[in-house]
Amino acid sequence: MAQLTAQIYLGAVGSRVDTGGSPRKDAGMARFNIRPYIFIAPALIYLSVWIFYPILNALVLSFFDSPTGRSRDYFWVGIDNYIKLLQDDLFLKSLYHNIIWVLLSIALPVVLGLLLAVLLSGRGRTRLIYASIFFIPHTVAAVCAAIVWRWIYDPSIGPLNWLLETIGLAGRPWLADESIVLIAVNMIGSWSYYGFCVLIFMAGLQNISPELYDAAMIDGAGALQRFFYVTIPLLRNAITFVLVYTIIGSMKFFDLIFVATNGGPNEASTVVGLRIYWHSMREGRFNYAATMSTILTIVILALSVVVIRQIVTEDEED
Amino acid sequence: MAVKAQPRKRRSFHSSRMIQSALTHVILLLFVFIALFPIYLMFNAALKTSRELFQSFLTLPTDPQWQNFGFILNEQGYKGALYNSMILSTSSMILTTVISVLAGYGFAVYRFVGKQWLFLLVLTGLMVSETSVLIPVYQLLQDLGLLNTYGGMILPQAALGLTFGVFLMTTFFKDIPRALIDAAVVDGGSDLQVLRHVIMPLARPAIMSLALIEFMWAWNSFFFPLVIATKQWLMPMSVRIIDFMGRFTFRYDMIAATTVILFTPILILYLITQRSFHRGITFGALKD
Repeated sequence: MAQLTAQIYLGAVGSRVDTGGSPRKDAGMARFNIRPYIFIAPALIYLSVWIFYPILNALVLSFFDSPTGRSRDYFWVGIDNYIKLLQDDLFLKSLYHNIIWVLLSIALPVVLGLLLAVLLSGRGRTRLIYASIFFIPHTVAAVCAAIVWRWIYDPSIGPLNWLLETIGLAGRPWLADESIVLIAVNMIGSWSYYGFCVLIFMAGLQNISPELYDAAMIDGAGALQRFFYVTIPLLRNAITFVLVYTIIGSMKFFDLIFVATNGGPNEASTVVGLRIYWHSMREGRFNYAATMSTILTIVILALSVVVIRQIVTEDEED
Repeated sequence: MAVKAQPRKRRSFHSSRMIQSALTHVILLLFVFIALFPIYLMFNAALKTSRELFQSFLTLPTDPQWQNFGFILNEQGYKGALYNSMILSTSSMILTTVISVLAGYGFAVYRFVGKQWLFLLVLTGLMVSETSVLIPVYQLLQDLGLLNTYGGMILPQAALGLTFGVFLMTTFFKDIPRALIDAAVVDGGSDLQVLRHVIMPLARPAIMSLALIEFMWAWNSFFFPLVIATKQWLMPMSVRIIDFMGRFTFRYDMIAATTVILFTPILILYLITQRSFHRGITFGALKD
């Protein structure tokens, strides 16, 4: 009996051949079974209408232009939009800001999240309490966070400058200073993101068996060595996930910057999302905005693939 | 040599251990402070009068201004925005969860031609952002006459969380012992019966996680509602706040009160169901 169950189980998990008695589960090559397709059809149709078709449509739109804003009398312009885009300083600047944002987000909340997760890993139940608290900012809507931090950053009545001046440091007009605005806004993003990273890394650390650390200690590995030679390699899945998630999030973000600075001062904090919104919804240049969307999709895909491949090949080398 | 050095070494190891532990505590508490202080400031500001806030933002309010919330909800027409947020989040949560559960069942239980490719196709949805699909989605809604309708706000919003949902449900359902499903099938159970009586009871925590996360995402969503709901009566809270900020520029007490109204429902939901949230968020990262 037990053997039979095991056989069924292995049959389902390991090989294509089903040993179960149900003809319905015989979905091998020989017999076409419509049922699974019926179950996944709603999701595929839904995604096709609202995600896949729009992606392709944006690509098509990027090769056309229209005589006036919002009109749909499209005419073919080839790659003109792309050429225009490459000469559009504001777009290049916004793309550059997105890249900076990726780097800042990795340097700050991701690294911080990893370190905090490691600090927490030795603890019992309190670990979960800390993680829960760190995660609370992530549940705050980006719009809310931006509004609250705008006030915190306010040069005349904001708490931050008051705090700095109390301890004898000079306050700054955080969101009005072109040289620091991007970092100041990224702090808001980091504030809401580090708890998310802690949670992911903490769950990843749980899967590492303590014996590995003991073994490393016996071999004379110090804390730093244990971190770099045991923790990091074994957290590979979690690290890949967080890096890809961070890249995607940093390339597409909009809410936070729209409310905090709307790209100002003097476009020093503008990002691609803002440009797309501006060109389409304000100026009605849909084709030009669609070109930006396409570039954005390509950049996100390319960066994600690079990160995934980098980490996967490292994996294979071991 | 080595034996002699040992006691001294151990003592220094001990005291360095204590310093380390103290340092760890300080760092952890610092980040607790960083996480919570802005939220404290937000609630505090919402309960103060404008003048008291100007005097100090640190001290607790002497006379909590609870009526700030009433003023915003009733006189500023925020009740409608709260209602719109509820409709948007609940509908898109239900839509995403139902479609994800069905697809998760299909992907996890059956083997079929093209399964790997179709699953990969679904996953590419993760890399798509609102800003990437804005223009075609906008035009599609325009053609369907759905701009400035609840449907127009809900349908694309639900799509944004769907990839995550299908992924989460598939990975969870795959963990359910195959023998249980086969036993039900042998007993003559139909697909829907298997789903209802075998999968759903076992995967309830996972489905709960998904529903909560989708609810939070839709509640906090901003970009699509901003573009699609341009009429005030339809705006959810996240979008109405912007309009409110324009009218009450320097009334930080009032602005803080609106953010509190937007944030509190999610905070309560999170505090009650933390484990569900954590499960849903961490699960995807750790399965490959």
